[in-house]
Amino acid sequence: METLTMEPKRQLAPRRRPPSKRRRAVRRNLTAYGFLCAALFCFAMFAWWPIIREVVLSFQQTNLVDPPTWVGLDNFRTVVDDPAFGQAWRNTLAFTLLALLCGYVVPFAVAIVLNELRHARGYLRFVVYLPVMLPPIVSVLLFRWFYDPGPGLFNQVLDFVGLPTLAWLDSTDTALISLVIVATWMNLGSGVLIYLAALQNIPGDLYEAAELDGAGILKRIRHVTIPQTRLILLLMLMLQIVATMQVFIEPYMLTGGGPENATVTVAYLMYQYAFVYGGNYGAGSALGLMLMVVLLAVAAVQLRLTREEK
Amino acid sequence: MVNTTTRPEEATKTGAAARPARRGDRKKRRGGWADGHSRTIVSPLELRSRWGRKIYWTLLTAIVIVFTLVFVFPLYWMVTGAMKTGEEIAQMPPTLFPKSPDFGVFADAWELFDIGTLLRNTVFYAVGAWLFALAVDVSAAYALSKLRPMLGNVIMAGMLATLMIPPIVVMIPAYITVTDVPILGWHLLNSPWAIWFPVAANGFNIFLLKRFFDSIPDEILEAAEIDGVPPWRVLVSIVLPISRPILGVVSIFTVVLVFKDFVWPLLVLPDSEKMTISVGLSQTAGAVTQNQIMAGLVIASVPMIIVFFFFQRSIMAGLTAGSLKG
Amino acid sequence: MKPRNLAILLTTGLALTATACGGDSKSSDAGGDVSITVACQPAKTAPKTRKAWDDDVAAFEKAHPGVKVKSTDQQPCFDPKTFAAKLAGGQMETVFMVPVTNYADVIAKRQAKDITGQTGLVKNFGDIKQDVRDMVTKDGKVYGVPNVSYSVGLVYNRALFTKAGLDPDAPPKTWDEVRAAAKKIAGLGAGYVGYGEYGGGNVGGWHFAQSVFSRGGEMVVDGKAAFNSPEGKAVLQNLHDMRWEDKSTGSKVLIGWETLMQQMAAGKTGMMLGAPDVVTDVVQKFQGKAADYGITGIPDGKASLTGGEAYMINPKASAAQTKAAMQWIDFEFNTPGKGRFDFARGKANGEAVGVPNNDYMGDSATGKTLAEDRKKNAALPVENYEPYVESATGVALKLEPEKAQELYAVLDVAMSAVLTRENADIDKLLSDAESKANSILAKS
Repeated sequence: METLTMEPKRQLAPRRRPPSKRRRAVRRNLTAYGFLCAALFCFAMFAWWPIIREVVLSFQQTNLVDPPTWVGLDNFRTVVDDPAFGQAWRNTLAFTLLALLCGYVVPFAVAIVLNELRHARGYLRFVVYLPVMLPPIVSVLLFRWFYDPGPGLFNQVLDFVGLPTLAWLDSTDTALISLVIVATWMNLGSGVLIYLAALQNIPGDLYEAAELDGAGILKRIRHVTIPQTRLILLLMLMLQIVATMQVFIEPYMLTGGGPENATVTVAYLMYQYAFVYGGNYGAGSALGLMLMVVLLAVAAVQLRLTREEK
Repeated sequence: MVNTTTRPEEATKTGAAARPARRGDRKKRRGGWADGHSRTIVSPLELRSRWGRKIYWTLLTAIVIVFTLVFVFPLYWMVTGAMKTGEEIAQMPPTLFPKSPDFGVFADAWELFDIGTLLRNTVFYAVGAWLFALAVDVSAAYALSKLRPMLGNVIMAGMLATLMIPPIVVMIPAYITVTDVPILGWHLLNSPWAIWFPVAANGFNIFLLKRFFDSIPDEILEAAEIDGVPPWRVLVSIVLPISRPILGVVSIFTVVLVFKDFVWPLLVLPDSEKMTISVGLSQTAGAVTQNQIMAGLVIASVPMIIVFFFFQRSIMAGLTAGSLKG
Repeated sequence: MKPRNLAILLTTGLALTATACGGDSKSSDAGGDVSITVACQPAKTAPKTRKAWDDDVAAFEKAHPGVKVKSTDQQPCFDPKTFAAKLAGGQMETVFMVPVTNYADVIAKRQAKDITGQTGLVKNFGDIKQDVRDMVTKDGKVYGVPNVSYSVGLVYNRALFTKAGLDPDAPPKTWDEVRAAAKKIAGLGAGYVGYGEYGGGNVGGWHFAQSVFSRGGEMVVDGKAAFNSPEGKAVLQNLHDMRWEDKSTGSKVLIGWETLMQQMAAGKTGMMLGAPDVVTDVVQKFQGKAADYGITGIPDGKASLTGGEAYMINPKASAAQTKAAMQWIDFEFNTPGKGRFDFARGKANGEAVGVPNNDYMGDSATGKTLAEDRKKNAALPVENYEPYVESATGVALKLEPEKAQELYAVLDVAMSAVLTRENADIDKLLSDAESKANSILAKS
C-alpha cells in the first residue's frame, strides 16, 4: 500500500488563489456525487426500488411479459384466504419465540461461562463459531441426515442410551422444534462471540465493588453483568427477531412446509406463490409487504427502547 | 459500548482482549492461572480456594467435552459418513469409524456435483463482489464522511433504512428488478452482476466505513486539499492506508456473505453452469447417495473453514463491530 | 492490491455490464445464415449422451447449411421458477421444452409461437396421437410439437416380490392386492417398505391425484373440488391402514420427487406409483439393478394421470428461425433411427433403452416402427414392462387439474396427516381440503 507521498508534490503544485467559497462548494458537491454515483445507482436499483416495487406489486398482477394490471386488494384477499396463511404466521411466530429461547438466552449464558474460563478459550471460541462459517446448506443437509428416523444419528444416539426414538421432521409435534435446533446450531456462535466481546468491556472494578458489598455470584450477574450489557442485549434481541422471522432455507430443504403445514413459514409461503404456484408475484409481494410491516414495527420498538436506554 | 466501533486504536484493543490472557498487570504467583485474566464475575480469590478450583476444573472439562460433542462431533460424523459405504452408512447401530475408509468418494462427489464448476463460480462471485462492493462502498463512505455533500445525511439515512428490511422480504420485487432493470432494461439473470450489484448496496458496510473515516482528523485532508491534491488521490494515498482494519472487516463480511447466501443465487443464477456451491449442492443432493452427499458437504465446507483459520481475527473484530449496528 | 485499481475496476465493470447486456440479443435473420438456440442438451454429468447430442447438432448443421445451432443445458430443462423471467428478459431459447402441466398456462399467456402453418416441417406430425396433439392446440391453432406422452402405472421390485413369496409375473391389479403384497414385503424384515409414498413437497398431493383417478374419482369438476368422495376417502384410508395397521409404508416422510425413486433404487422398497420413466431413472440415475424392476398398469385401472412434454417455439423467433427450429425438432426428436430415437447408439452408450416410456405416436406407422426399434435394441428386460403395455391401452387418460400445484399443496396436508398421525380424522381432512381447494379454485 502507498503511504503519505505528498512531499514531492508540494514543490510541483504552486498554490493557486483559493476559488470563491460558492464555487468551491459547488465543486465539492460535484466531486462528492461523483464518488457517490455508483453507490446511489446500486441502492436505487437494488435496495430502494424493490421496496417501492413491493408495495406497487402487491396491488398488481403481472406475468412479466404483458404490462401489469391493477387488481386492488385481490392479492391480499388471495393470501389471507390461503389455508396455510394463519398457520404460516403462527409457525413463524412460534419459530421466532423458540429460536429466541435457544438462540438468545443460551448464547448469553454460554458467553458468561466462557468469560470466566482461564483455559481453552481460544479452542472453545473457535469451535463454537465453526458452524457459523459453514454455508447454511451444509448444516441443513447434515441435519437432514441426522434426523433420519432410521439410521440417523439422533435416533441412534437415543436408542443407544435407551430412550425412545423420535420422528423428528416427520411429526407435527417435533418438526418445528427440529428446525429450530438446526437454526440454533448454525447461528449460536455469533451470539456467543458478540456477548463475549461485550462482557470483556465490563470494567473489573465494578465486580470488585459488588463483591465488597457482599454480592454473591448470581447477584453480581444480576446487578453488574446484565445492566452493563443491557444495550447489546436489547439490540441482539431485535436482530434475532428480524433474522428468525425470515426463516426459509430450513423448511425449504427439510420439510417442504409439512407435515400438515406444521413448518410452513411466511417466507416459505411467499416463495411458493411466486415461484411454485405458476408465478403469482402479486400475491407473493402482498405477503412480503405484510412481513415488511411487521419487521418495521419491531425495528421501531427497538429504536424507541434504545433511545430510552441512552 | 456504542462508541467502541473498530476505530484504528480500538481494533487492536479488541485483538488484544481476544487473546487468552493479558499478563503484566499483576505479578505471577503460584496458582497464577487464577489471576492472569482481567477481573470477571468470579474473583481470583474465590477461584483459588479449594472448592473454587474443583468446581473450575470440573466445569472446564465438562464444557470442553460438551462443546466438542455439540460442535465438532457432527462435523466428524460428516467426514466419516462420507467415507463409509452405502451399506455401512445405513447400518444400525452405526459404526464409529468407517470400516475401510474410502477416500475415492470425494473424487466421486467432486464429479457428480460438478464441484469444480461450482467452486470456481462461487469464488468468482465472491472475489468480484468483494472488489466491486469495496470500490463502491469505500468511495461512497468517503464522499459522505469527508466531502459532505448536500443531502448527504438524507442519503446516509436512506442507506441505513434498508438495514431494517431483510433481503428475503423484498425477494420478489428484487428478482423482478434483476430480470429487467428499470430504465436500462438490463437482464441480469445468470449474470454475476445479479450478485454484485445488490451486494454493493450494503448500508451496513457504508456505515462502518463512514464511521471509521469520520475518526480520521480532517486537518490531514485539508492540508492535502490546500496542496491541490485531488480528492481521489487523498482517498487512495491517505485514507485507505490507515483504514486497513476496517477494510479487512468489510472484505470478510462481503466474501462470507456471498459464500453463504442461498435463496438469492437460487433465484438469479439457475443455470447449472452458473450456480453457486450452495445451490448446486441442494439441486443435486436428491440424486446421489448419502455418503456422496456428505462428501460434497465436506468439500463445500473446506474453503470457509480455511478462510476462518486465516482471518479469524478480522472475523471476530467484524462481529463486534457488527453487534453495534444500531 | 493497489486501492487505486478499485476505481478502475469499478468503471471497467460498469462498462462491461453495459456491453454484456446490450450485445447478446442480436439475431441474424438477414441473409442466408440463421442461428437458433435449443434447450435440453444433456448435462455434463452424462458425457456420453451429451456427446451424442453434440454429434446430432453437428450432423444437423451439415444437413442444413447456413443454420447455426447453440445448445443450452439448464437442469432441469424446464424450470417453472425462471420460465417467465427468462421469456421476459429475452433469454428463452428458440426451441424450449414445456411439460404438459404448463401447456395451458404458456399458451394462454402467449408465451409460445403459433406454428399451425409450419407443422408440415415435422414429417411425422400427423402420426402423433390426436388426443396428445389436442393438448397443444387451442382454438384450432397449434402451439407445439408433443414430444413425450405416458401415463402413470405401478412400478415394482420383482426381486422383492420373489423374496416375499409373491409372483412377479402376476403383479397386483387392485389396491387391495397392493395392500396385501405390501404387507408381505414389509414382513421381510426391518428396513423393508412394501409401498412407498410421498407425504409433502407438492408431490404428496400429486400422488393423491393419481390414486384418486385410478379409483375412478375426480379432482375437479366444473371448477369445484370433487375429491371429497368415496374414492378420495378410500385413498387416504388405504394409505392410513397400510401405514399404521400393516406398517408397510415405512416411517420416513418423503418430500422430494427424487427421494422415493432413490429409496426404490436402494432395493428395499416393493412398489410405488410411477410412470415408466421412473424405471429409467431408478436404473440409470440411481443405479438400481435393471433386472429387478418391472412396471404394471395402475391399480384398479379406472383412469390414469397422463404426463408428457412438448417442444414449443419462442414467440419472438423470426420466420427463418422458426423454420430452422421446426427442422431441428423434426430431426432430433421425431425421426425413427435418428437423434433421440437412435436406439442402437443409445444402447451402446449405456442408456436404459427398452422402457415403454413414450407412446405419443400410438399405433400409427411411425409409432409401430419406434416400438419395434426400441425392442430390438433394448438394454433392459422388456418383458418386465409387458404388463404395463398391455394394460395401458384400456386405461382412460386424465389431465392434471387446473391450479394443480396449489391443490397439491393443500392435499399434501391430508397425505402427510395420514402418514404421520395414527388418529388422523380422514373425513375432516378431506372436507377441510375441499373447502380450501374451492376457495383456491374460485379465484380466476
